[in-house]
Amino acid sequence: MNSLMVILFLLIGAYLVAVLESWLTNGRLHFMAPAWSALSLLGSESVVPRKPDRLFFETAPVLLLMAALLAAAVLPLGPTGGIADLATGALFINAALAYVLVALLMAGWGPNGAYGLVGGWRFLGQTIAYSMLIVMPLTGVAMRAESLLNTDIVLSQQVVWNVIYQPLGFALFFIASLAVSFLPPFDLPTAKGDLAGGVEAEYTGPRRGVFRLARMVLVVSLATATTVFYLGGWLGPVLPPWAWSAIKILVVASAMLLTGHFLPRIREADLLAWCWKLGIPLALLNLLVVGIVILI
Amino acid sequence: MTLLSLQTLFIAFFGVAGVAFGVAVFRTASMMRSALALLFSQTALGAMFLAMQAEFLGVLQIMMMATEMSIMAIFMVMFMMDPGGLGEMEMTHQKRLSIFAGIAGALATAGIALFTEWGAVSATAPDAALQVRELGTELLGRSMLIFETAGVTILTAMIAATAVAMPALARKKPA
Repeated sequence: MNSLMVILFLLIGAYLVAVLESWLTNGRLHFMAPAWSALSLLGSESVVPRKPDRLFFETAPVLLLMAALLAAAVLPLGPTGGIADLATGALFINAALAYVLVALLMAGWGPNGAYGLVGGWRFLGQTIAYSMLIVMPLTGVAMRAESLLNTDIVLSQQVVWNVIYQPLGFALFFIASLAVSFLPPFDLPTAKGDLAGGVEAEYTGPRRGVFRLARMVLVVSLATATTVFYLGGWLGPVLPPWAWSAIKILVVASAMLLTGHFLPRIREADLLAWCWKLGIPLALLNLLVVGIVILI
Repeated sequence: MTLLSLQTLFIAFFGVAGVAFGVAVFRTASMMRSALALLFSQTALGAMFLAMQAEFLGVLQIMMMATEMSIMAIFMVMFMMDPGGLGEMEMTHQKRLSIFAGIAGALATAGIALFTEWGAVSATAPDAALQVRELGTELLGRSMLIFETAGVTILTAMIAATAVAMPALARKKPA
């Protein structure tokens, strides 16, 4: 599958995720809703706040989009791989996701506004909470495949998917991926009603459009990652590989959005406490269990 | 253009970018810009590793620096009097010593680079997957004791630092 196809796939995915999100928010299924809201964002004035750090203000939405796209670039949608099938694929996705933090810090600092600033620093705390819960479950996945190649990771799940082989790792990775894409209940950096949009608060017009698009692509990238690492990627009977990838990614993305819909926003201190006191020991337990299962 | 010279060009480009971002760290008064300039300087080094076909090291460098430099940014903002750099405060000190130390450091590094016997330059790098395997074997074989000791030491220091920073009496959680 060539690069253009993958990008098209991501954009369609991002659009469908936006439809789902608007359905959950407004209670009405409206397929054109994201298109109209994108048009309205493109047409509206893009206000630059007073005394901004212009460089960060302009770079942040683009960097967020780049990070989300790069994370998706190494994830295979079919047996031929994605845009690139790196020998360090499972590590590379972490590297790409680390720049989500950098983008949000820039978006927080850049506009010179209090809400944005608080949102940006909140995400730094959030990263310290979730990052081990991304890396450690991935280690378990790579242990089973004995490879960091993402195509090898999918092929290692031919008999049993990782969601059954290491359910604890799956649960932790799923929760952490909600935190990376700052979806509810981990929407601390944006926190509507609390921070008035936080890192997004000062962005208007096309800049906000890019920010929103980047967020949706990030959700699709993480849903793809969950599919590749835990749900057997493109593997499945009858249907062609890309169709299986698409179905699984959509199901995971819907689950990500639905989970947050029914949960209250978590407090920053609680998130850190739970991730460090409960999450990390569980992630270590997962590694131990997977190691033992591999050896016997 | 042959592959080797194109590779050299990329290595040089990222090297220059790394130095340029490094200079930017000290040219700005904003702590946030300073921290992120250092981040991108380190990212450029990671890209240099990638250009040198050391894929694992490159990706690791690019990954580690993002979180580390961001955490450093919040400390810089917390501890500096004028973190935004808007007050036109003088943020540098001991200039003569810094210039001397900088030049001496640069000369020493250049000296090491020029006068060390590096051995024969290999024309081709091993396959990326093989590099990962060999690095893993090295870390879990011969060098295991060193890395495990370092890891446990750092963990102990982290726990100790947290314990020291915590208030003596457990505070009641705010409602």
